[in-house]
Amino acid sequence: MALPLFDVTSDPGPSFQNLLKMLNIPLSVPGATDDPIHATTVVALRCDEGVVLVADRQATAQAIAARDMRKIAEADRFTAIAISGTAAAGMEFIRISQLSFEHYEKMMDETLSLEGKSNYLSALIQDVNLGTPFTVLPLVAGFDINHNRGRVFEYDGAGGCYEKDDFGVIGSGTPFAESALRLGYREGLSLAECIELGALAIYEAGDNDPFTGGPDFVRGIFPIVVTVTANGFVEQPESETRVIFETINQRRTASKGRAGGDLR
Amino acid sequence: MTMPFYVTPEQQMKDRAEYAQKGIARGRSLIACIYNEGVLLVAENPSASLNKISEIYDRIGFAGVGKYNEFHELRTAGVRWADSTGFRYSREDVDARSLANVYAQYLGTSFTDGGKPLEVEVLVAQLGIRNKPTKIYHIAFEGTITDETRFAVLGGDSETIRTRFVAEGDDVTSLAVTLQRAVRALSGPDRSIPAADLEVARLEDLGARRTFGRLSDDFVTQLLTQ
Repeated sequence: MALPLFDVTSDPGPSFQNLLKMLNIPLSVPGATDDPIHATTVVALRCDEGVVLVADRQATAQAIAARDMRKIAEADRFTAIAISGTAAAGMEFIRISQLSFEHYEKMMDETLSLEGKSNYLSALIQDVNLGTPFTVLPLVAGFDINHNRGRVFEYDGAGGCYEKDDFGVIGSGTPFAESALRLGYREGLSLAECIELGALAIYEAGDNDPFTGGPDFVRGIFPIVVTVTANGFVEQPESETRVIFETINQRRTASKGRAGGDLR
Repeated sequence: MTMPFYVTPEQQMKDRAEYAQKGIARGRSLIACIYNEGVLLVAENPSASLNKISEIYDRIGFAGVGKYNEFHELRTAGVRWADSTGFRYSREDVDARSLANVYAQYLGTSFTDGGKPLEVEVLVAQLGIRNKPTKIYHIAFEGTITDETRFAVLGGDSETIRTRFVAEGDDVTSLAVTLQRAVRALSGPDRSIPAADLEVARLEDLGARRTFGRLSDDFVTQLLTQ
């Protein structure tokens, strides 16, 4: 490819999406199929130190298509992006958004603000969701270094962006995960408490929603747990997520599968 | 009817080269050199925000001297080239040599075509990995590429600086020592350049995918006084 140079009036600026349009590179979102693979439940919680995200690992078509899918990605050091909806479109969505933020940073020699990122994605959702038969719904959570706090942004299918001051949930397991969060969330939760509550919400969704996978003790596959704080994006190692889910599982076994009582 | 003056092709190229060289010589110089952990880029640049050195891709850095708007255009085009190539194929397929060739092609064409020749010299540095070597590609205003294995000097006074840098020693050493040598070569024996007037960046594997990092004035001062 030759050097992509543009004259002043047609310069795509720092937007990677505009650049792809100018270079006639299509967003490689797939065409219609009868049986697309779906990715599901992700939760994000805010606390004083930052945000916590927990996501299940299952992708489902008519049968389970994948048990070890990764639905949370590091968009940049202080931003996590998670997806639900059609898996193919979602993975592409993550790739494009990650690249877009990096492209902006290199072009401008400055990082895009968290709010700038969340707004940029609105347009991208419109491109993907309104231009193809597939729907992808992202969840953006990160640590806003300009304002020194964690922030969570949810979207609707048409690209509407809504900032949440407590928690955000996406995917088919939403009713179950959200119920758990609504009962358990309160002001002043610590990061560790948020991890525990987020894990419980995903456990609930995995327990009740056929498209959401819970912890898989047989294969040793556990939901992904990520924190984004002033120290940046950190994914909890598997050794730790295993302990978190084993604890919930033991409690649930002791209560003979009942979720009530002291929020188990 | 007036006859146009005949100018020989040799004279034409000579004039254009002289024009470009004069433009480049007006700015301050920069050095790119390999140290034991990566590639160091050092420029004398009193401006804290108009950068001469920048990131192109995960393992590729860029530096330019001469007319700011011209090498800035090359820089942004390079970022666009790298990001769109990486998007279309894969991150591994973005290669400094290909980028250097694309720059050379553009500079070469601009030099021989009718318009104003570009008053810039640029370099593309790559931090090696597996099958890719650590390399510094230097592309001159008329599109000549040289591939340097140890260091490159860009800018007006490049011959003097090059001689001074060679005299500092030819071993590959630590970041601090390499920076001290580069700064001494840039400044010469008669003056010293304050850290605030230096723009320093490096490509080094520190565990992240992206290897480009700028060094703060404080860190530069610390390295220079070590």
